Amino acid sequence: MTLLRNLLKLSLLSSLLLPAVYAEGAETGSRPVQVKIGTILASNESDQFDARLKPMERQLKVMKYRSYRLLKEDSQAVPWNDNATFEIPGGRSLAISPQDTKDKQIALKVRLAEGTKPLLDTTVRLQNQGYFLLGGPPHEGGALVISISAFAQ
Amino acid sequence: MSNCETTRETIGAWLDGELAAAQAEATSRHLEVCAACREERHWLERLHSSMRSVLEANGSEIQFEPFWQGVQRRVAQKRNWYDELGDRIRGTFSAPRLAWAIPAVIVIVLAGLSIDSFFPSAKIGIQSDNLATVESIDAYGRNVALLHEGETNTTVIWLYQPQESENDSSTEPSETKPSF
Repeated sequence: MTLLRNLLKLSLLSSLLLPAVYAEGAETGSRPVQVKIGTILASNESDQFDARLKPMERQLKVMKYRSYRLLKEDSQAVPWNDNATFEIPGGRSLAISPQDTKDKQIALKVRLAEGTKPLLDTTVRLQNQGYFLLGGPPHEGGALVISISAFAQ
Repeated sequence: MSNCETTRETIGAWLDGELAAAQAEATSRHLEVCAACREERHWLERLHSSMRSVLEANGSEIQFEPFWQGVQRRVAQKRNWYDELGDRIRGTFSAPRLAWAIPAVIVIVLAGLSIDSFFPSAKIGIQSDNLATVESIDAYGRNVALLHEGETNTTVIWLYQPQESENDSSTEPSETKPSF
Protein backbone atom coordinates (compact mmCIF):
# COMPACT_ATOMS: atom_id res chain seq x y z
CA MET A 1 0.00 0.00 0.00
CA THR A 2 2.93 2.32 0.72
CA LEU A 3 4.21 1.75 -2.81
CA LEU A 4 0.78 2.47 -4.23
CA ARG A 5 0.51 5.69 -2.23
CA ASN A 6 3.97 6.78 -3.40
CA LEU A 7 3.09 6.08 -7.01
CA LEU A 8 -0.13 8.04 -6.76
CA LYS A 9 1.77 10.94 -5.19
CA LEU A 10 4.30 10.78 -8.04
CA SER A 11 1.47 10.81 -10.55
CA LEU A 12 -0.15 13.83 -8.94
CA LEU A 13 3.16 15.68 -8.66
CA SER A 14 3.96 15.04 -12.32
CA SER A 15 0.53 16.27 -13.36
CA LEU A 16 1.14 19.52 -11.49
CA LEU A 17 4.78 20.12 -12.45
CA LEU A 18 4.91 19.15 -16.10
CA PRO A 19 2.42 21.74 -17.39
CA ALA A 20 4.50 24.37 -15.60
CA VAL A 21 7.65 23.09 -17.32
CA TYR A 22 5.84 23.09 -20.64
CA ALA A 23 4.54 26.60 -20.12
CA GLU A 24 8.10 27.77 -19.46
CA GLY A 25 9.30 26.16 -22.70
CA ALA A 26 6.41 27.51 -24.73
CA GLU A 27 6.76 31.13 -23.54
CA THR A 28 7.12 33.30 -26.63
CA GLY A 29 6.34 36.80 -25.54
CA SER A 30 9.63 38.00 -24.09
CA ARG A 31 12.52 36.93 -26.30
CA PRO A 32 13.36 38.69 -29.57
CA VAL A 33 12.10 37.28 -32.83
CA GLN A 34 14.73 35.95 -35.22
CA VAL A 35 13.84 37.42 -38.60
CA LYS A 36 15.56 35.99 -41.65
CA ILE A 37 15.53 37.57 -45.09
CA GLY A 38 16.62 35.94 -48.32
CA THR A 39 16.82 38.11 -51.42
CA ILE A 40 16.41 36.13 -54.61
CA LEU A 41 16.70 37.26 -58.20
CA ALA A 42 14.06 35.61 -60.36
CA SER A 43 14.51 35.96 -64.09
CA ASN A 44 14.02 34.28 -67.42
CA GLU A 45 17.54 34.89 -68.70
CA SER A 46 18.79 31.38 -67.95
CA ASP A 47 17.63 28.06 -66.56
CA GLN A 48 19.94 28.08 -63.56
CA PHE A 49 18.53 27.28 -60.16
CA ASP A 50 20.67 28.21 -57.17
CA ALA A 51 21.37 25.04 -55.16
CA ARG A 52 21.07 27.02 -51.91
CA LEU A 53 17.40 27.56 -52.71
CA LYS A 54 16.67 23.86 -53.06
CA PRO A 55 14.57 23.64 -49.84
CA MET A 56 12.10 26.18 -51.26
CA GLU A 57 12.24 25.16 -54.90
CA ARG A 58 8.59 24.11 -55.12
CA GLN A 59 7.40 27.33 -53.52
CA LEU A 60 9.54 29.54 -55.76
CA LYS A 61 8.46 27.78 -58.92
CA VAL A 62 4.89 28.86 -58.19
CA MET A 63 6.00 32.13 -59.84
CA LYS A 64 6.97 30.40 -63.11
CA TYR A 65 10.31 32.10 -63.63
CA ARG A 66 13.04 30.00 -65.24
CA SER A 67 15.96 31.05 -63.07
CA TYR A 68 16.34 31.74 -59.36
CA ARG A 69 19.54 32.99 -57.73
CA LEU A 70 20.10 33.86 -54.08
CA LEU A 71 21.64 37.33 -53.93
CA LYS A 72 21.96 37.76 -50.18
CA GLU A 73 20.81 36.45 -46.84
CA ASP A 74 20.47 38.40 -43.65
CA SER A 75 19.21 37.61 -40.18
CA GLN A 76 18.49 39.82 -37.19
CA ALA A 77 17.05 39.32 -33.72
CA VAL A 78 14.25 41.85 -33.48
CA PRO A 79 12.54 42.65 -30.16
CA TRP A 80 8.75 42.64 -30.14
CA ASN A 81 7.27 45.90 -31.46
CA ASP A 82 10.74 47.07 -32.40
CA ASN A 83 11.97 47.63 -35.92
CA ALA A 84 14.80 46.11 -37.99
CA THR A 85 15.87 47.32 -41.41
CA PHE A 86 17.33 45.06 -44.06
CA GLU A 87 19.14 46.37 -47.12
CA ILE A 88 17.66 45.14 -50.39
CA PRO A 89 19.54 45.43 -53.71
CA GLY A 90 18.59 48.38 -55.91
CA GLY A 91 18.63 50.97 -53.14
CA ARG A 92 15.65 49.45 -51.38
CA SER A 93 15.09 48.65 -47.78
CA LEU A 94 12.80 46.36 -45.87
CA ALA A 95 11.69 47.33 -42.36
CA ILE A 96 10.23 44.55 -40.27
CA SER A 97 8.55 44.82 -36.90
CA PRO A 98 7.20 41.78 -34.99
CA GLN A 99 3.83 42.77 -33.56
CA ASP A 100 2.46 39.90 -31.54
CA THR A 101 2.16 36.16 -31.36
CA LYS A 102 -1.02 34.11 -31.11
CA ASP A 103 -1.64 30.40 -31.65
CA LYS A 104 1.99 29.87 -32.69
CA GLN A 105 1.61 32.55 -35.36
CA ILE A 106 3.70 35.69 -35.52
CA ALA A 107 2.33 38.94 -36.88
CA LEU A 108 4.98 40.89 -38.81
CA LYS A 109 4.58 44.44 -39.98
CA VAL A 110 6.59 44.79 -43.20
CA ARG A 111 7.45 47.99 -45.06
CA LEU A 112 9.29 47.93 -48.38
CA ALA A 113 10.73 51.26 -49.49
CA GLU A 114 12.87 52.56 -52.31
CA GLY A 115 15.01 55.27 -50.84
CA THR A 116 12.57 57.38 -48.90
CA LYS A 117 9.64 56.39 -51.09
CA PRO A 118 7.40 53.72 -49.56
CA LEU A 119 6.45 50.92 -51.96
CA LEU A 120 4.42 48.59 -49.82
CA ASP A 121 3.10 48.32 -46.26
CA THR A 122 1.66 45.04 -45.12
CA THR A 123 0.96 43.06 -41.98
CA VAL A 124 1.30 39.32 -42.36
CA ARG A 125 0.59 36.65 -39.78
CA LEU A 126 2.78 33.63 -40.43
CA GLN A 127 3.48 30.38 -38.64
CA ASN A 128 6.41 30.34 -36.25
CA GLN A 129 9.38 29.29 -38.43
CA GLY A 130 7.22 29.75 -41.48
CA TYR A 131 7.86 32.18 -44.28
CA PHE A 132 6.19 34.10 -47.06
CA LEU A 133 7.42 35.60 -50.30
CA LEU A 134 7.35 39.24 -51.28
CA GLY A 135 8.16 39.81 -54.93
CA GLY A 136 7.97 42.27 -57.73
CA PRO A 137 10.67 44.96 -57.52
CA PRO A 138 12.54 44.85 -60.83
CA HIS A 139 16.26 44.17 -60.74
CA GLU A 140 18.89 43.27 -63.34
CA GLY A 141 16.38 42.27 -65.95
CA GLY A 142 14.36 40.15 -63.58
CA ALA A 143 12.43 40.61 -60.38
CA LEU A 144 13.42 40.44 -56.76
CA VAL A 145 11.71 37.88 -54.59
CA ILE A 146 12.24 38.31 -50.86
CA SER A 147 11.59 35.40 -48.56
CA ILE A 148 10.73 36.57 -45.06
CA SER A 149 10.72 34.13 -42.18
CA ALA A 150 10.38 34.55 -38.44
CA PHE A 151 11.17 32.36 -35.48
CA ALA A 152 10.06 33.19 -31.97
CA GLN A 153 11.50 31.07 -29.11
CA MET B 1 13.18 -1.10 21.72
CA SER B 2 12.49 -1.66 25.43
CA ASN B 3 12.37 -5.09 26.98
CA CYS B 4 8.60 -4.82 27.52
CA GLU B 5 7.97 -3.99 23.86
CA THR B 6 10.13 -6.92 22.71
CA THR B 7 8.36 -9.26 25.09
CA ARG B 8 4.87 -8.15 24.04
CA GLU B 9 5.73 -8.67 20.39
CA THR B 10 6.98 -12.17 21.00
CA ILE B 11 4.61 -13.28 23.72
CA GLY B 12 2.14 -14.87 21.29
CA ALA B 13 4.88 -16.88 19.61
CA TRP B 14 6.22 -17.81 23.08
CA LEU B 15 2.83 -19.18 24.10
CA ASP B 16 2.69 -21.21 20.88
CA GLY B 17 6.21 -22.55 21.48
CA GLU B 18 7.54 -21.01 18.29
CA LEU B 19 10.50 -19.08 19.74
CA ALA B 20 14.15 -20.13 19.66
CA ALA B 21 15.45 -21.39 23.01
CA ALA B 22 17.45 -18.26 23.89
CA GLN B 23 14.58 -15.92 23.02
CA ALA B 24 12.06 -18.09 24.90
CA GLU B 25 14.34 -18.03 27.94
CA ALA B 26 14.64 -14.22 27.79
CA THR B 27 10.86 -13.87 27.51
CA SER B 28 10.33 -16.18 30.51
CA ARG B 29 12.80 -14.22 32.64
CA HIS B 30 11.11 -10.95 31.76
CA LEU B 31 7.65 -12.28 32.52
CA GLU B 32 8.82 -13.31 35.99
CA VAL B 33 9.79 -9.74 36.88
CA CYS B 34 7.31 -7.62 34.86
CA ALA B 35 3.74 -7.45 36.12
CA ALA B 36 2.43 -5.58 33.04
CA CYS B 37 3.76 -8.18 30.64
CA ARG B 38 2.45 -10.94 32.86
CA GLU B 39 -0.96 -9.34 32.59
CA GLU B 40 -0.56 -9.33 28.79
CA ARG B 41 0.35 -13.00 28.92
CA HIS B 42 -2.76 -13.85 30.97
CA TRP B 43 -4.95 -11.89 28.58
CA LEU B 44 -3.57 -13.79 25.61
CA GLU B 45 -3.94 -17.09 27.42
CA ARG B 46 -7.58 -16.29 28.16
CA LEU B 47 -8.15 -15.40 24.50
CA HIS B 48 -6.54 -18.65 23.32
CA SER B 49 -8.55 -20.60 25.77
CA SER B 50 -11.83 -18.95 24.74
CA MET B 51 -11.17 -19.59 21.05
CA ARG B 52 -10.21 -23.17 21.70
CA SER B 53 -13.40 -23.84 23.68
CA VAL B 54 -15.58 -22.28 20.97
CA LEU B 55 -13.89 -24.33 18.25
CA GLU B 56 -14.13 -27.52 20.28
CA ALA B 57 -17.82 -26.93 20.97
CA ASN B 58 -18.87 -25.97 17.44
CA GLY B 59 -16.18 -27.39 15.14
CA SER B 60 -18.04 -30.66 14.63
CA GLU B 61 -21.02 -28.74 13.24
CA ILE B 62 -19.04 -27.12 10.43
CA GLN B 63 -19.84 -28.76 7.08
CA PHE B 64 -16.43 -29.02 5.46
CA GLU B 65 -17.43 -31.52 2.76
CA PRO B 66 -19.64 -29.18 0.66
CA PHE B 67 -17.02 -26.44 1.03
CA TRP B 68 -14.23 -28.65 -0.38
CA GLN B 69 -16.47 -29.90 -3.16
CA GLY B 70 -17.11 -26.28 -4.19
CA VAL B 71 -13.40 -25.52 -4.18
CA GLN B 72 -12.60 -28.57 -6.31
CA ARG B 73 -15.41 -27.75 -8.74
CA ARG B 74 -14.15 -24.20 -9.28
CA VAL B 75 -10.55 -25.40 -9.75
CA ALA B 76 -11.63 -27.95 -12.36
CA GLN B 77 -14.05 -25.62 -14.16
CA LYS B 78 -12.81 -24.24 -17.55
CA ARG B 79 -13.14 -20.47 -17.49
CA ASN B 80 -14.86 -18.50 -20.23
CA TRP B 81 -12.65 -16.39 -22.51
CA TYR B 82 -14.47 -13.22 -21.51
CA ASP B 83 -13.83 -13.89 -17.83
CA GLU B 84 -10.10 -14.21 -18.56
CA LEU B 85 -10.19 -11.08 -20.71
CA GLY B 86 -11.93 -9.21 -17.91
CA ASP B 87 -9.26 -10.32 -15.46
CA ARG B 88 -6.51 -9.17 -17.82
CA ILE B 89 -8.14 -5.77 -18.31
CA ARG B 90 -8.59 -5.37 -14.58
CA GLY B 91 -4.92 -6.31 -14.12
CA THR B 92 -3.77 -3.85 -16.78
CA PHE B 93 -5.77 -0.98 -15.38
CA SER B 94 -5.11 -1.75 -11.75
CA ALA B 95 -4.08 1.25 -9.67
CA PRO B 96 -0.29 0.65 -9.44
CA ARG B 97 0.04 0.46 -13.25
CA LEU B 98 -2.16 3.51 -13.76
CA ALA B 99 -0.02 5.41 -11.30
CA TRP B 100 2.91 5.03 -13.71
CA ALA B 101 0.84 5.35 -16.86
CA ILE B 102 -0.66 8.77 -16.08
CA PRO B 103 2.64 10.68 -15.70
CA ALA B 104 4.12 8.71 -18.61
CA VAL B 105 1.28 9.78 -20.92
CA ILE B 106 1.57 13.39 -19.73
CA VAL B 107 5.33 13.38 -20.42
CA ILE B 108 4.85 11.93 -23.91
CA VAL B 109 2.10 14.39 -24.85
CA LEU B 110 4.01 17.41 -23.55
CA ALA B 111 7.21 16.26 -25.22
CA GLY B 112 5.37 16.02 -28.52
CA LEU B 113 3.86 19.46 -28.12
CA SER B 114 6.99 21.23 -26.97
CA ILE B 115 9.69 19.57 -29.02
CA ASP B 116 9.55 22.35 -31.59
CA SER B 117 10.07 24.93 -28.86
CA PHE B 118 13.10 23.24 -27.39
CA PHE B 119 14.63 21.89 -30.61
CA PRO B 120 13.53 24.25 -33.37
CA SER B 121 16.07 22.90 -35.85
CA ALA B 122 15.10 19.29 -35.29
CA LYS B 123 11.91 19.55 -37.38
CA ILE B 124 10.59 16.37 -35.81
CA GLY B 125 7.66 17.77 -33.91
CA ILE B 126 4.27 18.69 -35.26
CA GLN B 127 4.96 20.32 -38.59
CA SER B 128 3.36 23.69 -38.94
CA ASP B 129 1.32 24.88 -41.85
CA ASN B 130 3.41 27.41 -43.76
CA LEU B 131 0.41 29.31 -45.15
CA ALA B 132 0.48 32.93 -43.97
CA THR B 133 -2.41 35.33 -43.49
CA VAL B 134 -2.20 38.83 -44.89
CA GLU B 135 -4.02 41.10 -42.44
CA SER B 136 -3.49 44.39 -44.26
CA ILE B 137 -1.78 45.62 -47.38
CA ASP B 138 -1.13 49.06 -48.85
CA ALA B 139 0.86 49.46 -52.08
CA TYR B 140 0.45 53.24 -52.29
CA GLY B 141 -1.66 53.13 -55.43
CA ARG B 142 0.37 50.42 -57.18
CA ASN B 143 -1.10 47.14 -58.32
CA VAL B 144 -0.50 44.26 -55.99
CA ALA B 145 -1.38 40.57 -56.22
CA LEU B 146 -1.84 38.17 -53.36
CA LEU B 147 -1.41 34.47 -54.01
CA HIS B 148 -2.15 31.62 -51.62
CA GLU B 149 -0.97 28.44 -53.28
CA GLY B 150 -2.45 25.51 -51.39
CA GLU B 151 -0.40 22.67 -52.84
CA THR B 152 2.92 24.07 -51.66
CA ASN B 153 1.46 26.16 -48.81
CA THR B 154 2.98 29.26 -50.32
CA THR B 155 1.91 32.84 -49.74
CA VAL B 156 3.19 35.37 -52.27
CA ILE B 157 2.64 39.12 -52.25
CA TRP B 158 3.56 40.46 -55.66
CA LEU B 159 4.09 44.17 -56.15
CA TYR B 160 3.68 45.30 -59.74
CA GLN B 161 6.35 47.96 -60.09
CA PRO B 162 7.12 49.45 -63.51
CA GLN B 163 10.42 48.34 -64.98
CA GLU B 164 11.18 51.94 -65.86
CA SER B 165 11.79 52.79 -62.20
CA GLU B 166 14.81 50.46 -62.16
CA ASN B 167 18.00 52.40 -62.92
CA ASP B 168 19.72 49.59 -64.80
CA SER B 169 16.61 48.58 -66.68
CA SER B 170 17.36 47.02 -70.03
CA THR B 171 14.68 44.42 -70.52
CA GLU B 172 11.04 44.26 -71.37
CA PRO B 173 8.63 45.35 -68.62
CA SER B 174 6.71 42.11 -68.99
CA GLU B 175 9.64 40.18 -67.50
CA THR B 176 8.86 41.46 -64.01
CA LYS B 177 5.37 40.05 -64.15
CA PRO B 178 5.05 36.50 -62.92
CA SER B 179 2.60 34.08 -64.49
CA PHE B 180 1.21 32.44 -61.34
